[in-house]
Order: sequence, then C-alpha cells, then structure tokens
Amino acid sequence: MADQNLPDLSSEASSVPETPVPATTSAVETKEKYLRFTILQRIEHITFLLSFTLLGFTGLPQKYANSSFGQGILAMLGGIETTRLIHHFSAAVMMVISIYHVMEVLYKLYVERTPWTMLPVVDDIRHVLQDIQYYLGFRKRRAYYGRYSYAEKAEYLALVWGTVIMGLTGFMMWNPITTARFMSGQAIPAAKAAHGAEAVLAVLAIILWHFYHVHVRNFNKSMFIGTLSYEEMEHEHPAELAEITARKVKSALSLPEIRKRQRIFFPIAGVLTITLGFGVIEFLTIEKTAITTIPRGETAAVFVPATPTPRPTPSPMPTPDQNRPVGSDTWDGFYQALFRNRCDSCHGATQVGGLSLKTYQNALDGGKSGPAIVPGDPDNSLLVQKQASGSHPGQLAIDELDKVINWIQTGAPEK
Amino acid sequence: MPVRCPSSSFFLIALGFLLIVVPVSLWGGGAYTQVALAASLSQESNPGEPTPQMSISDDTCLQCHSQPGLTMTLDDGDVLELNVSADEYAASIHGKQGYACVQCHTKVGNYPHPAWTAASRRDTTLALSTVCYRCHSSQYEKAQDSVHGAAQASGNKNAAVCTDCHTAHTVRQLTDPKTNKLRSESHVLIPQMCSKCHNAIFQKYTDSVHGAALIDENNQDVPTCISCHGVHNIENPTTAYFRLNSPQICAKCHTDKKIMAKYGISTDVLTTYVADFHGTTVSVFEKQSPDAEVNKAVCFDCHGIHDIQRVDDPVAGIQLKENLLLRCKICHPDATANFPSAWLSHYAPSAENNRLVYFVDLFYKLLIPAVLGGMGLLVALDLSHTLYTKYRKRKPAPPPASSPQTPVEEGQNG
Repeated sequence: MADQNLPDLSSEASSVPETPVPATTSAVETKEKYLRFTILQRIEHITFLLSFTLLGFTGLPQKYANSSFGQGILAMLGGIETTRLIHHFSAAVMMVISIYHVMEVLYKLYVERTPWTMLPVVDDIRHVLQDIQYYLGFRKRRAYYGRYSYAEKAEYLALVWGTVIMGLTGFMMWNPITTARFMSGQAIPAAKAAHGAEAVLAVLAIILWHFYHVHVRNFNKSMFIGTLSYEEMEHEHPAELAEITARKVKSALSLPEIRKRQRIFFPIAGVLTITLGFGVIEFLTIEKTAITTIPRGETAAVFVPATPTPRPTPSPMPTPDQNRPVGSDTWDGFYQALFRNRCDSCHGATQVGGLSLKTYQNALDGGKSGPAIVPGDPDNSLLVQKQASGSHPGQLAIDELDKVINWIQTGAPEK
Repeated sequence: MPVRCPSSSFFLIALGFLLIVVPVSLWGGGAYTQVALAASLSQESNPGEPTPQMSISDDTCLQCHSQPGLTMTLDDGDVLELNVSADEYAASIHGKQGYACVQCHTKVGNYPHPAWTAASRRDTTLALSTVCYRCHSSQYEKAQDSVHGAAQASGNKNAAVCTDCHTAHTVRQLTDPKTNKLRSESHVLIPQMCSKCHNAIFQKYTDSVHGAALIDENNQDVPTCISCHGVHNIENPTTAYFRLNSPQICAKCHTDKKIMAKYGISTDVLTTYVADFHGTTVSVFEKQSPDAEVNKAVCFDCHGIHDIQRVDDPVAGIQLKENLLLRCKICHPDATANFPSAWLSHYAPSAENNRLVYFVDLFYKLLIPAVLGGMGLLVALDLSHTLYTKYRKRKPAPPPASSPQTPVEEGQNG
C-alpha cells in the first residue's frame, strides 16, 4: 500500500523535470515533483481551515450550550457573547474567502481553460464500486483516480453545499427581521435547526472523511508544500499521472490569448466581486436586530402609598359638669370623681410616683415628693404646683384647676 | 493585711457562689424563653392591686391608652395616635399569647413617660419597630438585608419596617405553626399588606390572571407577592441578577406538573424557552456570570410583570400574533408582522406545531446518518483492507524492498 512507499521528502531533488515514463521508472523520474496547489491555493486552504475550525469551535458550544462541554468552552472563550463575536468574525472571513474561491474557479475555467476536474462524473461512481471490489478482494488494485478522486470530489461538494447552507441559514439567524419581511418567521428557527445540524454533519465529515484520507491513510502534504512525489501520484492519482506522462495535458496557452481573456474577465470579476463584497457588508450590517439596552421593567411607580384610613374622631371621656346643681364643693361631692377621671390612669392603682388619688386620705398623704393636697395652702399643694406648670400628662382644664385651688383655699373639705 | 483578709474571703465566697449559681441558672434558664417570661408577667399581674414596678400590667397602660382620642402632637405637627384597642390587641397573635405592652414598649414603662424624642409619626414607627428584633431576630436580620433594609440604610424612611406590613397591635399569625406554611386564609392578605406602599403595582396585580384568581376565588396555587419576591429578605427586583434568575422563579410553579395539570398549562415552557436563542443566552449567563446585564428576553418581557394575562385573553392575550408583536417590538423596534412566528410559542417542533422546523430536523436526522454512514463504511473497508494486507505481508515473509508493483501483487493474493 501507499504508506509502505512514503517518499523521502527530505531529499529536495526535483531539479529538471525529465520525461516521466511510468512503464520504465528510473530513479531520477521518481524524484519528480508534481505541482498540485499553488501558493495562493494553499493560503486559501489555510484561511478556510482556520475560519472553519473557529466556526466549529465557537458554534458547536452554542448549539450544546447547556451541556458541560458547551459550558466549558463558552467559559474558556470568555462567555457566550464573546463566542458569538468570534463566530461572526470567522463567518465574515469564510464569506470573503468563498468569494475569492468563486473568482478563482471562474478565472481557471474561463481564462486558463483548466478542465473542470472537480466535477463529479459517472466514472466516480464506477471508482467507488471498483474500490469496494478491491477491498473485498475481487479486484487487484484500487480504481485509477484522475486529478481528483471521488473522495476529494465528495468532500469538495460537501464543502460547497455546506458553505451555501451555512451562509443562507446564518444570514437568516443574523438578520431575522429582514428575513421575516420575505418569509414566515418560522423560517428563522428552521434556519437555526439546519445551521446546527449541518455544522454537526460538516465537522463529523471532516473528522471521518477528510482526516482519514489525507492524514491517517497517508499524510498528504501537498496542501502545505504544494507538490506530490511520483510515488504519491502513482498511488493517489494514477490516471492523472498517466495523462501527464502521455503528454495529453495541454501545455500552457499562448500569452496573447490569455491576455485577451483576462481583459474580458477582470472587469466582470471586478464588478462581481464588488457586488458580492457589498453583499457581505449587507450581511453583516443590514439590520439592527435588537436594542442594546435592557428592556423596560415594571412601569408602575414603586412607592404609591394607599390612602390611609382616617383616624377615628376623638370622643373625649365625659367629665362631671362642674356647674351641676347636685353635689357640693367637697371631695365626696365633686373632687373624687374629677380626680378619678383625670388622674386615675397613673395615680390610681399604679400609684405613679407613689401618689394615689383614690381616697381623700391618699391625697393628703401624697407620694414620694410630698402631700398632693395641703388643706388651706394651695401654693404648697403638689397637685396645684404640678398642674400649674401646664404640662402634666393628665392636665386639668384651667377652670377646673381654679375650682381645685378655691376648694383647697377653703380648707379642702372632704364631705 | 488585717483589713484585706475579710474582704478577700468575702470575695472568695462570692466567687464560689457565682460558680454554682451562674451555670445552674444558665442551664435551667434556657427553658425560660421570653414567652414564658411574658406569660408569667401578664398572668401574675392582678389588676386593681399595686403591682411591682417591673411588671406593669396591660391594664395599667390601657387606663390611659384605651381612651379614644388620646393623641400627642409631635414636633413636625403630626398627630400621634396613642389609643390602642384592647379588643383588637387581644385578638392579635401577641395578645392571644399574653404578651404585655411593656415587653415591646420597653422604654416607656415608668410614668411619667420619658420625653418622646421622635420628631414625626414615621420616626416613631422606625424607632419602635426596632424592638421586634428582641424576639424575631432572624426575620429582622433578613429584613435588614432586604431591599427595604437597604433603602432604609440609604436614608429612605418610607421603606417598610416590620410594623408597616405586620401592624403594631393587630399582628396576625399568617403561617400554620405545625406546617410552617401559609394558612389558606393568609394568601389573600399578602398583596393587601404590600399594597399599603405599592398600591399602583397592586392595582396591576389585581387585574392579572394570578391576582384575579387569588382575590376572586382565593386560589391557593397562584403566586402572591412573596412567592416571587421572597418574604423578609426581599431582594431588589431591578438588578441584573434578579432579571437573569427570573425564569427560575416562574419555573418553580410552571414546571410543576401537579399544579399545571389543573389548568391545562404545558410544563415544557422552561425547556422550550431554554432551547430558543433568548433562553439559551439567559441560561448560559445565569450559570456563568449571574450578575451580568443581559437584555435577552426573559419570561416577563413577553408575558408582563404584575399584569400577566392569560395567553388566550380576548384583549391582551399574546397567543394572538398582533399582541405578541407589540411585545417583540419592545426589544426589536423594526419587527414586522411575520416576525413573532420566529418564536415557537413554547411548542417543541412536531408534525402538528412548527412543522417547518420539525421537517428540517427530520431531514438532518436522515441525512447525517446517511452521509456519515456511507463515508464510514468506505473508510472502514479501506482501513480494514489496509490493516489486513499489512498483517498478511508481515506474517508470512518479510516485506520486500519498496516497489510500486507491490499493491498489484497483494491485490491478487487478497
């Protein structure tokens, strides 16, 4: 198999290409190098590879955002918003490189008249069947691949399909308002479903198909160094090698003819590139999907006190009418009731300050500070002193106090 | 020395006494909580009899404070009501359990009362409500950490303190002490409490699907204020954190199959939300940076906050795309008529709902295995053939010198 015959690439011996004749392989001929990819194509591949990898690496954790795998990568990349930024940037790179690729293909087809060897043909299906026969032992060797084997063609087609799908669905997700102007809004979640599933398909296909064919089975370095050796060509592209050696491949076109086609191609390609470039800019900027501020929260005012219940109308406790006809101007006749109503809260049971005004004797005894009532001497009666200040909690009215003073003046009779 | 001897022996005796008495009283005293103390105070006091100064009975206080119209004019002209209805207090949880006035009013026990320094009614409330800490320290501390506590700390005197919600003298027991859950008759009281200060929001709530069910039917499933905002440690609902966490608040009930089954509401609302762009973003932020400002829609951006309506409400229901569009436009001002159907309305894609998405999914469910299967088959054949020939080549004879003819020969052998 091919890996048994890995060419010694360290010997950079490809000097003057002598005529390679597969039938009579000489040592010189096997050191021939066959150019497959120009430096521009290799740069194109690296750029596409990087954008693809970044897109996959930033896209899949978004699809699986709530798995531990997704969470881990999102955290590593600095959160989901940063991840989206990287994803969008990579998408822009891929769009630009894809436009470049379209222009390159058109140039090769029109100006250089390169045969469209990437196009799948019926032979490719035959090659698949031949290879299966070979694997199963019904055939002596693999199919004779041309410039591109069915494996490469399948991959290229998948890439074109994938890029188109991802571009379209990506646009719809990036610009949902614009999309909804032209189709049902449900196309946007559908685009999201397709974008995610296509991504899984693309990444798995790259790992399974691409990695196997160019890294595992045989490390094909042509995409990085540009050339394949004679042995590699013999194993990977025998039909193309045969064509080259049989000189079936047309030699370079005449310069004037190329110039003539370039004069037609470049203006058209220029307009096309500008149009597509404009398309990319539109893709990135066509709409401002959402506000960048936090949406308004509760609009009602927070502190709106309910109207308080009105205070109950005061209804003061009735006091004895001092001018009532019954009752005499004595402790029993008037003052006991007056003091009970006005003073009893504190100078009743609780004897605040040691003073009780429950009985005549209590009043004469007084509290800690001395007798409340000194018959005949209102000035030395503490009750009068306290009340005269006007700020005692249980305050007597002025005419009530006058009446008390008069009563004490007259000896404060009990009965 | 002769002087010191008696004093030091007295000191030693005192110390020995303390060593015995203090541990005993601490150990035994644990059982005497303030409840017990309160009960002894209120029950042992005998109205009409002179009482010891330490335990002034409620009757003593009520001799003055039961007088209707007993008021005091404060410095700012506020009239402070000093009347307490003995019957109402007796019906309150504190009254029922026999707590005495002076257990809360610790600084006015003696008469004449010390001069009252609070300059306004509000200052009076603020000063007096600190006493709740004595028995309810856990709730009090939670309230201190709440949005109300923070507002108070920053000088907003209007922010609620204990008695604003619980009242001072008519405190009700809202929870069942056995289950520690709200009593069925308590639910409806909660929005009323909050409405004392948040009346505008209360009015919105009463018209919402939740508020109407609570007030009209005393529905026990619908959320009251505290279901979403918490009880004493009410957090600031305008923070980025609250916004980011809010879908989990709604999900508490809306993913509960038992509750939702009663009303025929899907419990897939959270998973379908998280599967969508808004929900994915919110859930990632919620896990990775819960304090981040995220403007992606959360439940209440579409459904409303205090004025949540049924989705099939004939007037405001967002089942109607035109109504939903109004909500979309809050964040997507340029949205047009088709835009709301980009949202899958909490339906997982199926052949009935969201058919387009369902068929895209189905297409890829077939395409991915088909493509990868074909590729995998060819790769497997190639790989096994390669390994097989390698094995064959190595075993029977050492491989010959590298030659381009080798594969052909192997092919013949294989």
